[in-house]
Amino acid sequence: MTRLGPLITLGSVLVLAVVFLLANTQAGKPVSTVASATATPATTAPATTSAPLHALYAGRSSGDQVTVAIAINGHKVAADLNAGQASEVSLQGSVNGSKFTLTSSNGPRLTGSISGQDMFGTVTGFLGQSFPFSAAQAVVQAVYTGRSSGNQVTLAVATDGDKAAAYICNGKTIEAWLQGSVNGNQVSLTGSKGANLTGSLSGLDMFGTVTASAGLSFPFSAELSPRPAGVYQARIAVNGLATRIGWAVLPDGTQLGVAVAGTTKYPAPLLDLNNDSFTLDGASFTAAPVAGKDTVVSP
Amino acid sequence: MTSQPVAAYPARDQYAKPFLVALLSGCGVALALGLYAKLHHPTKYALDVAGFSSPLYAKAWLTTAAVVLAVVQLITGARITRQAAAPAWMAGLHRWSGRIAILLTVPVIIHCIYALGFGTYSARVIAHSVLGCIFYGAFVTKMLCLVRRDAMPRWALPVMGGVVFVSLVALWATSALWLFATKGVHS
Repeated sequence: MTRLGPLITLGSVLVLAVVFLLANTQAGKPVSTVASATATPATTAPATTSAPLHALYAGRSSGDQVTVAIAINGHKVAADLNAGQASEVSLQGSVNGSKFTLTSSNGPRLTGSISGQDMFGTVTGFLGQSFPFSAAQAVVQAVYTGRSSGNQVTLAVATDGDKAAAYICNGKTIEAWLQGSVNGNQVSLTGSKGANLTGSLSGLDMFGTVTASAGLSFPFSAELSPRPAGVYQARIAVNGLATRIGWAVLPDGTQLGVAVAGTTKYPAPLLDLNNDSFTLDGASFTAAPVAGKDTVVSP
Repeated sequence: MTSQPVAAYPARDQYAKPFLVALLSGCGVALALGLYAKLHHPTKYALDVAGFSSPLYAKAWLTTAAVVLAVVQLITGARITRQAAAPAWMAGLHRWSGRIAILLTVPVIIHCIYALGFGTYSARVIAHSVLGCIFYGAFVTKMLCLVRRDAMPRWALPVMGGVVFVSLVALWATSALWLFATKGVHS
């Protein structure tokens, strides 16, 4: 006796598989040489599409012609194509849903789509060539610097993947170290004595509220800033007193810092941003840039 | 007294060939899937399924639904096998839950082999890739066993059903469960 039911089941599975395969072939462009199977997440993926994506992706073209670095900040996206030997191109563009398009002044275009922790796309017109590429999400180190709306305090926030460290001060008496995390586009840090910062990333900017100490809250804005902008710190002994100095440095080199020795606070010495050194009481010291994952608030 | 072994041999010969055909067909399917997944250039791109944060989560939930139906399969299959007097609706439930479960896995496997391919970069991924091939091979074998059910050894259907069930649960554990455990349970 031969029964047809199981064969019909097998046949419908086969038909559905072919339909899906064809649909995928139509939808997708062949990309990437990276061998990979099943789920392959990276490190710190904001997995929701509702919140704006803030992430750095790094990868290469399928034929290994260029390395690709793509930074996504909400609806803005910037990319860097590098083929070595000084053939480097910067592109700017926008994100629309999971798709993005970037252009550059001198020709090359880049289009692609984000798929979780991976992105796939095509580079056209680069050195007269076009090729597919793929990239995966990378942990990103970034610095956001800015001021409170009334210019009461200056702040610098360093992020490192989902970790963040920040310093806020007015250069004289107000200062606070903050430690926290980045979750999607939400930034949340806390310090001692009620100090805290909550913000959200929007494009290349961060907006929010910072509290230096209980009752001392200000709205602020900050923006993604290149070096020398950043958080700097030095822990030294001055006249036998353990002293901690913090600086918030803006991209134009403007710096505000406070030195704290016990309960005494005074303006920090000028930091030489060429070599991160400073002089205090005739002695020379070196400060260290603070990264987002560094511990700045003792637990 | 001597007729007993004589009677046993024809009985075995009767079912040996159909079962071997089913088994070898399943092996062929498993091998073909594995070879295609390994040799096909992974696109890393596939259709998005609406309503999910990423294709990975869509796949994880489809697989989870299939595993839930597979548990129904296990329960109803055990009843049907053990009790000749199992209610008629139970066979229907077994058939339809199985059909729906296997159809749910189709978009998942197409994404797996078309976009990702046969991966070997970690123990979990190797296990998942091999299990995927075994699962579909065992499924094809079981369907072919059903086609000539009366010509099969009594243990063929429960054993193949068991292989399908175990491999699906293991597939789920090496992908969906892993995703939920590392990335959180959400859509």
